[in-house]
Amino acid sequence: MDVNFEALLPELLLTLVACGVMTIDLFLPKEKRGLAFPLAFIGVLATLAAVLNLYGQNLTTLDGMFVVDRFAVIFKIIFCVAALLVFAVSQAYLNDDKDVPHGEYYTMMLFSLLGMLTIASSRDLIAIFVALEMISLPAFILAGIRKYDIRSNEAALKFFLFGVLSTALMLFGMSLFYGLTGATNLADISAGLAGRTDIDEVALLAILFLIVGFGFKVSAFPFQWWVPDTYEGAPIPVAAFLSVASKTAGFVGLFQVMFLGLGELADMWRPMFAVIGIVTMTFGNLVAIQQKQIVRLLAYSSIAQAGYMLVPLGVASATDGALNTQIIFSVVAYLLVYAFMETGAFAAATAFGRKTGKYLIEDYAGLFGRSPALAVAMAAFLFSLAGIPPFAGWWAKFVIFKTLIEGDGLVLAVIMALNTVIAMFFYLAVVKKMFVDKSEDTAAIAMPRSLAGAIGIAAIVITVGGFLPNLFGQLAENANFF
Amino acid sequence: MPDGYFGSYLTLAIYSLAMIGLVGGTLGLNRLVSPKVPGKEKMTTYESGVDPIGSGQSQTTIRYYMFALLFVIFDVEAVFLFPWAVVFEEIGVFAFVEMMIFVAILALGLLYAWRKKVLDWI
Repeated sequence: MDVNFEALLPELLLTLVACGVMTIDLFLPKEKRGLAFPLAFIGVLATLAAVLNLYGQNLTTLDGMFVVDRFAVIFKIIFCVAALLVFAVSQAYLNDDKDVPHGEYYTMMLFSLLGMLTIASSRDLIAIFVALEMISLPAFILAGIRKYDIRSNEAALKFFLFGVLSTALMLFGMSLFYGLTGATNLADISAGLAGRTDIDEVALLAILFLIVGFGFKVSAFPFQWWVPDTYEGAPIPVAAFLSVASKTAGFVGLFQVMFLGLGELADMWRPMFAVIGIVTMTFGNLVAIQQKQIVRLLAYSSIAQAGYMLVPLGVASATDGALNTQIIFSVVAYLLVYAFMETGAFAAATAFGRKTGKYLIEDYAGLFGRSPALAVAMAAFLFSLAGIPPFAGWWAKFVIFKTLIEGDGLVLAVIMALNTVIAMFFYLAVVKKMFVDKSEDTAAIAMPRSLAGAIGIAAIVITVGGFLPNLFGQLAENANFF
Repeated sequence: MPDGYFGSYLTLAIYSLAMIGLVGGTLGLNRLVSPKVPGKEKMTTYESGVDPIGSGQSQTTIRYYMFALLFVIFDVEAVFLFPWAVVFEEIGVFAFVEMMIFVAILALGLLYAWRKKVLDWI
């Protein structure tokens, strides 16, 4: 078998880094365990360089299972950048929490990242499944890594049970498609499904099963029940990792399977995504209003955000390639912006929580007086998540609206607009707390450089991106397989 | 024989019934015709072994669980090593290197267990 090692270089490099971090950590004396962070950070930087080197190339290897194209490369960049930001946040968090072992923490993050890089290139059901598992299994451990905290245990167990169940169902769906077409390669499946009219019931069932698996990953309703509890119980940087990188990976898998493999059956899955998207965003926003705890608020908001990104699939077409291109463009654009604003919001919550030990929204009262920079950054992330200009979030939402209207999904667009209005309420409630309300405690929130850097970079990117959306737009436009 | 997809299940149903009948029949016949001479020795768990002491549900140390986990490492390894060994001559050097990488990654798990002192029996 011919293997194109050039195409596999980022993954091979990351495997080495992950194994290396783990091995080195095993032989370090206790007081030098902090070395895992710089090693992992540099390792991911090197991987990012290897990924950037592949930009613009078209390589296929491992019998068509593994493809390097712009779609894959752009997502690999998103994953690496998100991981770097999460690492920077993690370092501040881990230094406070003596119970979390550094080496294991970063090793698991790296292995999960490896799965994400792999899924971006996978064009085969088996490869996608293995990559998804590679993302999930370390994530289960990460959620429960504070092993003496009972809430962390709960987080891991809930995540694990939901994950295993949905994965099993998804695997069943994949096996049905294998049974229908005799192929696991997405292109072959697409060819096998073309013109078939005798398979409606089985295909419907198989699509439903696939949606269960991906729905769990992107936290779509009704597979989102684990999200608030897991985010709350897990270390906050892990929650950021799950809500940004892991969710993006779910979307990558979804795109590949739905557009490359099951494009022929778009008439069948289109209404499903329209309904799931609408219910997900409405549920997320309505429940978020009642939240009193910042991480739970962000968890429900991340469910709602998943809804925004799912509705465009509700106007997909089996024949109109230009429309599908537009759909992928809009969701990729949203994911790009989302990666920064969501990581930023979680980072700001980490910065506040690690100093004060408080995670309730009312504790944020008077934050502007205490730490103006942190308050402004948090407000920027929340504005962006709500879709208020001038931050990049407005543009991401605008692109999705545009796609929905172009795809004759006016009803979807109206419901999404209503949802953004509902969402303003709880995002702005936090901003009001920070800027208008007063608190008795006036101590400033100090934070280490890595954390401040992560928050600063995320804030700068979403601000610049809001004024110059083409920066994101150009990347997103390239991330297309049509 | 009825045809079609579900028709093939009829064979399975007949076969299952026949098997249940055969097993139930022979065991029932045995019960009916065999002579019964109950004795104290025959009521113990093992007729021909050491007499059981204590309750049947005793606690075992958590270390057995660790060993069970470690066993999985080698078990997975064996599952892949056997088919690899069978076709070794045809697939050659490339597969050899690949398998060595696979074994090395699994060995990392063992290394981890060793450094975390799972292998020491206290």
